[in-house]
Amino acid sequence: MQPVDVARSLSAQWPCREVQTQQLATLFNPHLPSSPTLVVHGISATCKSTIIRGVLSTLEVPHAVVRSSECITGRHLLTKILWNTLEALGQKDEWEKFGKGRCEHVSSLAVLLEECLATRTPEKRGKFVLVLDEIDRQREAPPTLLSALARLGEIIPSLCVVLVLSSTPRPMFLQNTAVPHISFPPYTRKEAIDILLASPVPTVEGLPDESSYHIYPHFVSTVYDTLIGPTVGSIPTFRAICQRLWPQFVAPVVQGESAPGGGTDWDFARLVVKNRVLFRHQGESALVHRIVPEESAASSKTIRTQFAPKAASSALPHLPYFSTLILTSAYLASHTPQRLDTIFFSKFSSSSLSARNKRAHHRRRLKVLSQAQAEERQAANDPSTPNKKGKRSKTRITKSTLSSAFATSSATTSATGGGGGITGPSTILTARPFPLERLLAVYHAVDPNPPANPIHTPAVSDQIYAELATLRRLRLVVPASGHHGGASMGSGNTSADAGEKWCVNVSGDWIGELAKGIGVEVGEWLAGGLD
Amino acid sequence: MDPDGLEEALDLSRDRSQYQGVYIYQPAKPGKSANEPPKKRRKVSSTGAQDPKSDSQQFIPLLNGEESAEGVQQRLNTYKQLWSEQEQKIQGILEDVDAGVLTDVLSFVRETSPQTCNGCIPTALVTVGSNVSSLSRLLSRLNDHLTSSGEGGVVVLESGDATNLKNSLKNVIRAAVTNTEGNDGYQKFLTDRAGPRVLGYDLDLLNDYVQRKGTKKLVIALRDSEAFDPALLTDLLSLFQSWLDRIPFTILLGISTSVELFETRLPRSCVSLLQGKHFEVQDAGNCVDRIYEALQTNPNGKLWIGRNITSTLFERASDYFQTPEAFSRMVKYACMSHFFANPLSALLGDSKRPELFQGRFIEAIRNLPSFRMYCEDLVEAGSPMEVRNLLENDRHLLEEVFNHLEIGQQRMRDIFQAVTLIHACLQHTQGTKKSTVSDLSVRALAGELGESQVVDDMLATVRAMDSEKLEGVLATLPAALSNDSTLAELKTDFGTLLETRPDQELLRSEYNINSSVTKTTVVQQRIQLSKGKANLSGQDLEYTKIIDRLVAALQEYFTEILIRPQELFMHEAFLFDLRNPLKDNFAPRPRFAIERAMGSPFDYLISSSDADQSQAKISAKQPAAAILYQLYLESGALVNVHDLWQAFLAIFESEEGNKCDERIVMALFYGALSDLKMFGMVKNASRKKADHLAKSAWLGL
Repeated sequence: MQPVDVARSLSAQWPCREVQTQQLATLFNPHLPSSPTLVVHGISATCKSTIIRGVLSTLEVPHAVVRSSECITGRHLLTKILWNTLEALGQKDEWEKFGKGRCEHVSSLAVLLEECLATRTPEKRGKFVLVLDEIDRQREAPPTLLSALARLGEIIPSLCVVLVLSSTPRPMFLQNTAVPHISFPPYTRKEAIDILLASPVPTVEGLPDESSYHIYPHFVSTVYDTLIGPTVGSIPTFRAICQRLWPQFVAPVVQGESAPGGGTDWDFARLVVKNRVLFRHQGESALVHRIVPEESAASSKTIRTQFAPKAASSALPHLPYFSTLILTSAYLASHTPQRLDTIFFSKFSSSSLSARNKRAHHRRRLKVLSQAQAEERQAANDPSTPNKKGKRSKTRITKSTLSSAFATSSATTSATGGGGGITGPSTILTARPFPLERLLAVYHAVDPNPPANPIHTPAVSDQIYAELATLRRLRLVVPASGHHGGASMGSGNTSADAGEKWCVNVSGDWIGELAKGIGVEVGEWLAGGLD
Repeated sequence: MDPDGLEEALDLSRDRSQYQGVYIYQPAKPGKSANEPPKKRRKVSSTGAQDPKSDSQQFIPLLNGEESAEGVQQRLNTYKQLWSEQEQKIQGILEDVDAGVLTDVLSFVRETSPQTCNGCIPTALVTVGSNVSSLSRLLSRLNDHLTSSGEGGVVVLESGDATNLKNSLKNVIRAAVTNTEGNDGYQKFLTDRAGPRVLGYDLDLLNDYVQRKGTKKLVIALRDSEAFDPALLTDLLSLFQSWLDRIPFTILLGISTSVELFETRLPRSCVSLLQGKHFEVQDAGNCVDRIYEALQTNPNGKLWIGRNITSTLFERASDYFQTPEAFSRMVKYACMSHFFANPLSALLGDSKRPELFQGRFIEAIRNLPSFRMYCEDLVEAGSPMEVRNLLENDRHLLEEVFNHLEIGQQRMRDIFQAVTLIHACLQHTQGTKKSTVSDLSVRALAGELGESQVVDDMLATVRAMDSEKLEGVLATLPAALSNDSTLAELKTDFGTLLETRPDQELLRSEYNINSSVTKTTVVQQRIQLSKGKANLSGQDLEYTKIIDRLVAALQEYFTEILIRPQELFMHEAFLFDLRNPLKDNFAPRPRFAIERAMGSPFDYLISSSDADQSQAKISAKQPAAAILYQLYLESGALVNVHDLWQAFLAIFESEEGNKCDERIVMALFYGALSDLKMFGMVKNASRKKADHLAKSAWLGL
């Protein structure tokens, strides 16, 4: 079969990949020797593996495909390669001859593969293609794995190794010269629209076929221009969005609403004008995948109500009283600089006017500071200014930060809150780790119902530990990894060393709301909270 | 000082050698091998013959050991019988609570497939809130359903099992196979396969298993999904996704916070692998209320939980993360301690033979506060002979006791019937704040319910009821009340009234808000509001009369029923209300205990001289760790080790003068310091101050 024929037979099912199909068909031609190694690369959802499989089965070349994403370790991959080869050659029952089905190293793989390819019957002796899918995503791969696999084809003459990559390869990444590369570029606008139009129009009950044939092509290209093109969406998302929006888009026609110009004949332009809101809201939410899909509207009449805030069913969880208080204290401990503890949490100065003034003063200063930090961060995100990490100014208020903060403070009051999502409305931006003893101390300071006689009801601390363990399990409070690196992320480890530091892990808005429920005003304690 | 004395001084016992920081090395004496591992104890299979003996020893004889063995046995048996009944009831409630979610999840698992989810893994998100344990119940029942119908099974993966990808896969595969085949089946499955040996984490194994068993649904349940490392979760899910065409995975994620919070923590690529539905498990508080109600309002109840315990129980349930199981464990403990420590509880048993209750037992009854109160009442009522009889005649006393036990238990049942009645009526009010059964019970048990606002509210509600609601209420009236003659009359009257009314319209009393009309009159530019009765039909007036009679009857009923349970004779036997063992056991205070032991060790240790106990000063006779701890309390956040050592040495020098061996004191010092370190009270300060210790625990937190 000529490469052109292969391309023609495949393009009916997988359109817009004729060039690549022809290239592959040429290289895999069973009657011609092919290059020992071949690299196929392209981003995901560009039809790489499907086309390769299609070409190989159309040409009837014996081949084995190994999905590298299913292999947990490098050794697993090698074993899989061996088995799949044996299976493809129909020698699965003779596995004991070939290293007892075990393969621990690439060099032994070369030997074993050569052996099993040599045992084939003479009439079957020809080219054998080994496709390694997504080989660049292999877990626990040794650094030399790729180049070693690329040599297999050189060692074994009848073998052709195809490496499928989903990232663009660096030049010479195989340490080898002149390996043919075939690129699968992302689909262009025209190709994407053609592919979508090649599949049948989603049927909508009550819509005349004629108008659907007229409107659908326009609709598809509009969807591409508004949603898919700007976000570099793939074909599956494109298709899903079209299927989802199409019934709502033509709903006015189906329901027999009268068109704006009078009469009932809708054309595309009128539908677009009518459905502008649909594109803005539905479309954007369609791009973001959620685990629980929002219920698609049964009738388009309810579109408007969908945009209303959802009912309280998905409201944030409610914690028991004691845990809420602990979480609040943890949040405060995380977001208050330690050196201000005596000012904010000391019981001795709580009532006097001067102390309150002092606290308010510090809150204001810290607020100004946090705004300055936000500014700085924004500036740092700007690519033109070099990002200087590690030298973040602590709580020192220099003249320049103050002045810059004052200059913009009125404008950015709301901007600080909207920025992170991790931090509260207006605080020192990042949560800092705190030791457990400090949490206990803060807890005693903010407790809205302090025990009447603290001597007879001592030690809530013991109960705090139990609750803290639960909060940790919920990942609301986490041990600060700090110098331990990622080691303490291991979830089995629940020991709490005395000096170990903790850090709060949720947004301040939520904690503020929870705390209000039990009668604690977070802003009152927080640096920069109330103003 | 000889080595043994030294060892004593340093308080070195062998079992401490595990964590000791400092010890004096002694070469093992040849011949005597103290550290030889103890001989393995032969496993004694517990036979049935041994059981009764160990059983009877669970409870010890009370009354100074003079209680009869039968009495002990009776207490134990009664407890067992009582609790098994209650446990069944609790189980029933728990199952009932989960039933709704279970059917939802089950149908979700059965109906969804990757095809219906756009190629994503079907995912059930179950939010459990603070009701953490309900998920495991749910999962085990889901597993039962799926395995019994041969559709598949549930594999539970905990965050602790999933330390890395290999481990979690291994665990998943093993759990899936052992779920139906058992542990041996798993081993056989591994060895019996044709073909080369497969690595334990290869999902090919699972694939084989699924093909062999014809599994249609394999549910992977991540019980505490928040605790999983997000990177690991992503890896795991992407792997499942790529096998989805061969293995029918369904993921079930248990979430304790909220779906949004969970979703934002996962990377986008991970979220895009999942699609499914959200289920909510009922909140724990509700469940706890139902359990409590079922236990207390049981019409055949024998033992009731008193007010103090009730409030402790509900405090814990509302303030802490607590599962319904933990709640029922606490109730169980309360129940058990009653039977364990109260000899009177034997009276609750089935056997009422007088031989069981003799001697000391009778004496104990005569010493009860409630007996004294009862006698005083009798004397006041003018029957001193009866009192004399009770005091002298054992048999008569016992008869009276059993009599009053019956009466008291009946009174308790009545109280709780009244509580349920009030609760049911209050459900009809419009108000936002509704008292739960537990609130009402606490008040009833304290004897405060009769005079409280709640009863007034309830009566007001009854007054405003229309005929339809009243019908419902009348049907649910407790038996004691509905057998009453006035009420029976009232019921028949009501029935005839309902029959004679013209059409099926509702009857309203004059107290109903719809029946009163507000009139607005303008008098000299002032608005006067006056309420007047709307014109009521004759039947409505009739109805109003019935309501009035009912309210009067209820009032009478409540004043009669809602008494203080503590005033009943023999309430000690059927009402358990000791807060203490419960509180101490379920909210222990180890930190406080440690601080006290270290701060004043002679609270715990027996001292040779009284002088040591009286003086609170630090002395060399105290354990070294305690001395060091007290010195440590005097210091600030950073302590120079040398200063600490000097202070430590000074204590010994001041008491022992020149005899003091500095080297031994030094050893003591090091031992004490390592103890403090083990307690987590000190740690090494920063590298800059290598000679300092940092304080990491403060007193009184």
